[in-house]
Amino acid sequence: MNPLLEQFLSESRDFSQGISEKLMQMEGAPSDQGLINELFRLVHTLKGNSGLFTFPEMTRVLHAGEDLLGLVRNGRIAYSQELADRLLDAIDLVMEMCADIEATERIDASRAGDSARMAESLRALIPEVPSEAPAPVAIHPGATPAGLPLLSEVPEAARKEALRQCRGGEALHWVCYAPVQDCFFQGDDPFFCARQTPGLLWGAAKPLQALPLLAELDTYRCLLQFHLLTSASREELSEYFRYVPDQVSIVPVNPQLLEPSVSAPPGNVQHHSAAADGFKGGAANSPDSPQAPAEDQDEASRERAAALDRILAAQEQILKLDDRPEWSGGRLQSVAAVLVNLARAAGDEVAISEIEAALAECLSSGQNALLLLWLETGREHLVARLSSPSASPAQVKHKPAAGPPNSSGEAAATEGAPAQSAASDGIKFGRRAEDNAPSPRSLKVDQAKIDRLMNLIGELVVSKNALPYLAQRAESQFGVRELSREIKGEYSVINRIVDEMQDAIMQVRMMAVSYIFQRFPRLVRDISRKLGKEVQLVLEGEQTEADKNIIESLADPLIHIVRNSLDHGLETPEVRRACGKRETGTLTIRAAQEADRVVIEIIDDGKGIDPAVIKQKAYEKGIIDEAALGRIDDREAVNLIFAAGLSTAAVVSDLSGRGVGMDVVRSAVEKINGTVVIDSELGRGTSIRISLPLSMAVTQVMVVESDGQLFGVPMDNVVETVRIAKGQLRTIKQTLAAVLRGRIVPLKSLNTLLGIPAAPRANSEHELAVLLVHAGGEVLGLLVDGFKETIGLIQKPLGGFLSGLTAYSGSALMGDGSVLMILNVREII
Amino acid sequence: MPIEFKKNRAVFHDVVVVEEAEGLLDWLQNKPAAKVDLFACRHVHTANLQVLMAARPEIARWPEDMELRAWLESALKPAS
Repeated sequence: MNPLLEQFLSESRDFSQGISEKLMQMEGAPSDQGLINELFRLVHTLKGNSGLFTFPEMTRVLHAGEDLLGLVRNGRIAYSQELADRLLDAIDLVMEMCADIEATERIDASRAGDSARMAESLRALIPEVPSEAPAPVAIHPGATPAGLPLLSEVPEAARKEALRQCRGGEALHWVCYAPVQDCFFQGDDPFFCARQTPGLLWGAAKPLQALPLLAELDTYRCLLQFHLLTSASREELSEYFRYVPDQVSIVPVNPQLLEPSVSAPPGNVQHHSAAADGFKGGAANSPDSPQAPAEDQDEASRERAAALDRILAAQEQILKLDDRPEWSGGRLQSVAAVLVNLARAAGDEVAISEIEAALAECLSSGQNALLLLWLETGREHLVARLSSPSASPAQVKHKPAAGPPNSSGEAAATEGAPAQSAASDGIKFGRRAEDNAPSPRSLKVDQAKIDRLMNLIGELVVSKNALPYLAQRAESQFGVRELSREIKGEYSVINRIVDEMQDAIMQVRMMAVSYIFQRFPRLVRDISRKLGKEVQLVLEGEQTEADKNIIESLADPLIHIVRNSLDHGLETPEVRRACGKRETGTLTIRAAQEADRVVIEIIDDGKGIDPAVIKQKAYEKGIIDEAALGRIDDREAVNLIFAAGLSTAAVVSDLSGRGVGMDVVRSAVEKINGTVVIDSELGRGTSIRISLPLSMAVTQVMVVESDGQLFGVPMDNVVETVRIAKGQLRTIKQTLAAVLRGRIVPLKSLNTLLGIPAAPRANSEHELAVLLVHAGGEVLGLLVDGFKETIGLIQKPLGGFLSGLTAYSGSALMGDGSVLMILNVREII
Repeated sequence: MPIEFKKNRAVFHDVVVVEEAEGLLDWLQNKPAAKVDLFACRHVHTANLQVLMAARPEIARWPEDMELRAWLESALKPAS
């Protein structure tokens, strides 16, 4: 997998996470503009990134999401639960695609349907934009008169080719691409873009206005626009120009205009016939017939009135067409654009707003009636105003001034197709600025590199520990005290540096628990909605840090616990009300550091666990025997839920209740040297407390001696060290025992456990060294020969043939080069 | 070097990028009678195109690439 794709995947995951998070937050603050902007930015960037690769499925979904959010951002659509649900679904789909890409470097073809459906469902929430316009490109009805006269410039060969393709069933389109002036600074090359247009038949570069003199020419401002004749479909063109939809107008070309016989200079009649064909051109320019001489006012106004009549008649005719082609929306817009232009020429602002209102109504209802009605009622007034001498030719002339294509393009953008242009505005808005969001000052480093550092520092610690032995040898073997002292001095310096370095590397591996906490809002929301419960999630101490491995292995157990709490712990609102509790349950997840351990508590104020039920269940399932049934107290009983095969839920749901779960939680936590305890008060709630080491890398080990050999016992297991006089030992049946602080503690000799044929040695006062260890909830005394120091070391698992030796959990290298075996206390007793 | 400026002739090679436009403009301003050789050119950036359109130098050779030639001819032929 190439690095770019790898980074894309890792970023996508972050973005998806961010999007889910923001959506959650928006539930609490639906009108927070900052959140919406951030959300939009995330979706937008993710979409942009996906566009770098050929993942159209992903881009399609994100594009739809982006459109939707753009409208939410502009306040056109209100944020709603449904909207959040669909967007979350969409993000899930994107995540699945990411998984696909990770596995196979491409998106499975079967996703295409999913993504189309998802995009469809997202777009269904957008009231105005029809779903068949995936990449909205502004349709500029006004561009036709400006662009099409150039048809006459199309050379014969291209024209014939166009006609040939047209007869072959291809639709012809005229594209007018007017790049923004500073497009060069964005790295665009409009000429290249124009040359690469799909289905290009002919194209020409035209200056927007007369080019300035060479001395005044600014080479870095784009002064050209491009006219293109292409046989590509509108969808293809929309897709091709999707980054510059506001700079492009696409107009279907009526093939008749290409026929040599009709390619005369464009006049009103042709425009009308074109319009009557359902052609999205406007007769926008028509009211001023170019031939109209201004010298004779009467003559002119009569001609204008006649022309007006023809225009209006044509519009009426169009509106009365009762076929329902898919472009009927465009046709309506075109008619409205003509009428608006006429009203504007007449200076009738009221009429403009009336027409626009009528158009909006017609577009949403799909009926032409309102526009037709307006045409009938407003017609007289309009004609009167336009043909009256007070409508001076200058005023009317103002419209052909829309001739320079860029201004006509702009005018058209405001007049026509409000829905489309609005949608594309939403996308374009602030694109560049937002892509450059400030990046966090952090590095992404492959974990393997950190692990290597970790190993190296481990070796350094070991070789550092060799120095004291060297000092000792210098003194005892060679008798140079001076040198020995100096070595010790150096050692303390190296020791300090190594300690700091080790600490620094540990810090690098530290991760905040927020890494796992951040997924809980979503989880809790989804589950509680599914269960019909109202839950308020409180997260505390998200900044608490622990080693990456610890944090990662904690994720699954925590999810289990949270699910259990939601499913079994918290009650439904009705039950809670009946118990006199607040309807909304509270689930608190709290992390805190206590000495060298991280403690995570999951607390709910639900119905708690009934110890009697647990005891009964455990007894039924044979987990405890009858004697234990009477003996164990409530706290112990509650902790039985961690035993394998115990499920208290009467009904198995898809969330929990299959009897796996809590025991999996316990084994997962124990695997990383953690402990888990549960406390519950019936009717008041349950609290589960997980305690974990900060780091797994360094294990604190107590070194003990037995029969001349050294063994390490993890400090986690050690309870205390005592010396017991031989006389105080009792023998109960076959087992040695002693009374310690009023408790009977069974004693076992380490030598016996390891199969070493030697008796424990007592010291000069006839006392035996006893190491009290904690294993499987019981306390046991191990008889050893002596205690040594406690050291922190990096434990290496036993490999190869030795991995079968379960008595040892691993080995470590000591400073003097010897190997220390670490006992697996649970296994040997 | 996408544009090779000879004594009285600018020879375009391959793809002429946006950075060339300023130099080309300068050069054409100082040599109004200069000719431009486009034969080996495959693409000119829009910025260069508009310099050529504004300066209208005499074209010594049109591009070998027929498609580009059609574009440039329609933009640079004095007839239009």
